[in-house]
Amino acid sequence: MKSVLPLFRCLTSIERNVERCQISITPPNDQVMIQFFCRHGITKTHNLCFQESEALQAVFASHLSPNVLKAPARLLSDMVMHFPVSQEEITLSMTPLRVSLRNYYEGGDDHMKNMYTEMSLHPDEFDYFQIGVESDITFCLKELRGLLSFAESHCLPVSVHFGAAGKPVCFSVEDMVLEATVVLATLIDSESRGPSQPTETLAPTTPSCADAAAAVLPVGSCEADSRKPQDIAAVMELIASSQGSPIINPPALMLLLPQIDDSNKLSVADEACHSATTTPASSTICSLLFRALSSEDNDGCAARLPVLAFHSDEEEEDYTREQSCYT
Amino acid sequence: MKLRGRILDVACLNRFTRVVTTISKLTKVCVLRLTPDNLFFVLSGKVANGGIGMWCELSQANVFDEYQMEGVSSEDNEICLEVTPENLSRALKTVQSAKAVKVKLTKKHCPCLTIAAELPTMSSTSRVVTHDVPVDIVPRRLWHEFKEPSMPDFHVSVYLPPLKTMKNVVDRMKNLSNFLVMEANLIGEMNLKIETDLVSVTTHFKDLGNPPWGDDASQDGGPSHSREPEAMVQARVDIRKLQQFLMGQQVNPSKAMCNIVHERVVHLILLHEDVSLQYFIPAVA
Repeated sequence: MKSVLPLFRCLTSIERNVERCQISITPPNDQVMIQFFCRHGITKTHNLCFQESEALQAVFASHLSPNVLKAPARLLSDMVMHFPVSQEEITLSMTPLRVSLRNYYEGGDDHMKNMYTEMSLHPDEFDYFQIGVESDITFCLKELRGLLSFAESHCLPVSVHFGAAGKPVCFSVEDMVLEATVVLATLIDSESRGPSQPTETLAPTTPSCADAAAAVLPVGSCEADSRKPQDIAAVMELIASSQGSPIINPPALMLLLPQIDDSNKLSVADEACHSATTTPASSTICSLLFRALSSEDNDGCAARLPVLAFHSDEEEEDYTREQSCYT
Repeated sequence: MKLRGRILDVACLNRFTRVVTTISKLTKVCVLRLTPDNLFFVLSGKVANGGIGMWCELSQANVFDEYQMEGVSSEDNEICLEVTPENLSRALKTVQSAKAVKVKLTKKHCPCLTIAAELPTMSSTSRVVTHDVPVDIVPRRLWHEFKEPSMPDFHVSVYLPPLKTMKNVVDRMKNLSNFLVMEANLIGEMNLKIETDLVSVTTHFKDLGNPPWGDDASQDGGPSHSREPEAMVQARVDIRKLQQFLMGQQVNPSKAMCNIVHERVVHLILLHEDVSLQYFIPAVA
């Protein structure tokens, strides 16, 4: 993303000069071409190399979470503002009477010297408050700050779905043109045990570009050393592509993956999360694969990967391809 | 030992926060002394601190609307805590909009100064924020190190130029040299000088005025009477210490003075409303 960002950085000059922006991939090259068609007949072309890589997927059916909070991004920002920027991890507690945030430190020598902060809110402050199980979840605050500042700048409400400690927590924002989800692992046990599990962001999704000929989606299989292919599962949250490819409801998608059965899906998520946290390459996980809707899908490596945004005229072919992944 | 205080006035909370923030910029750790009437932030001039001494005094009545304090014992009715002022500053900054802020001495995982506040919200409910700032209790046998410093026998006392101007000058001088000479005389002139092999730079300030300490102030009898008014008294100090002092100031003080003991120490005094801050920078050879 570091190569892509500078191209879009100067919004004012883009608004003034650029008439059209086209993003495309030509199959023979490993390159993404971003073209700005500007005034006065000027065309700026940027070619960026990309590498296909495997991304981690978060298997998390957020609609099944027992606890749900919805609030304007501003409220959540106000909550986390009480904690220092250097605060790594934070514990969110939910009871029928209160939602509270505390900072979290792993046990250590300077345990005594840390400043502890706690803030709690009444459930009425939230736009939506659903409590299924009283829980304390501990997750990485730094990852959340990014999403919150994004949501706040767009004035979007944020939804939080979570369950008991150890199950992932899902933060999502939704707009007319985009849907963004951040799934974070949480510590299994709120009382810290010896080596704590690093919390990770798995497969953050990105907004789809309105003018793009392609749909943006995180695609890939879970990178797990000891996992068998059967354990690979697809992301449950889907992004509405601008071309209107069908959105598959998660339960329907589950049926397409014969080896995974419903009762195990959340535990697979845990295992996926655990394995994700232990694989060496899991520290930064984000992989995008641009796929033009009309392109031929004859890449050898792509054939192995489940595709989520189904090509509107090639559904059957994709289904068959997916089946072959798991046999 | 017991401490319970409540700050209800927004202006008082604001001012207290600013004082604590200034202190946090001057030192990482300091001692907070609480007596029935006052609060003191103290840094004793030990070698470990680079010889820097600091004494900041404010009256508790101008901070707290309610204040209950019970010291270590009835004869030693005060509380002496070692605290990281940055933690305190951070905690206070987040509760600026509160209707009431409670400050208590508590024992959680360790002795703590707990800052608790209720923050107003759009709905009728309120948010509760609690910060536990860890502190170390200073034992009585060490209290003598944190006594109010006596006024040094200064040779010259002069009002300081606007701190912002001084800061600009010192910031630029810092690039050239590690040491700076501060000198002043009895006719309200002050110079800041640096000297290196390649260059020497001097900034002159005139018409600053000399504070009237009076004859009974500790201007030592012999030498000062025979000292000519234009004669400069100087002290060479580590420029970073002076810069640190100037960087920390958030408000323009109503009075800012500098006392110099020839080649011994620079004593800076700032007064703002009812808060006084004294800063001692030792001279180096």
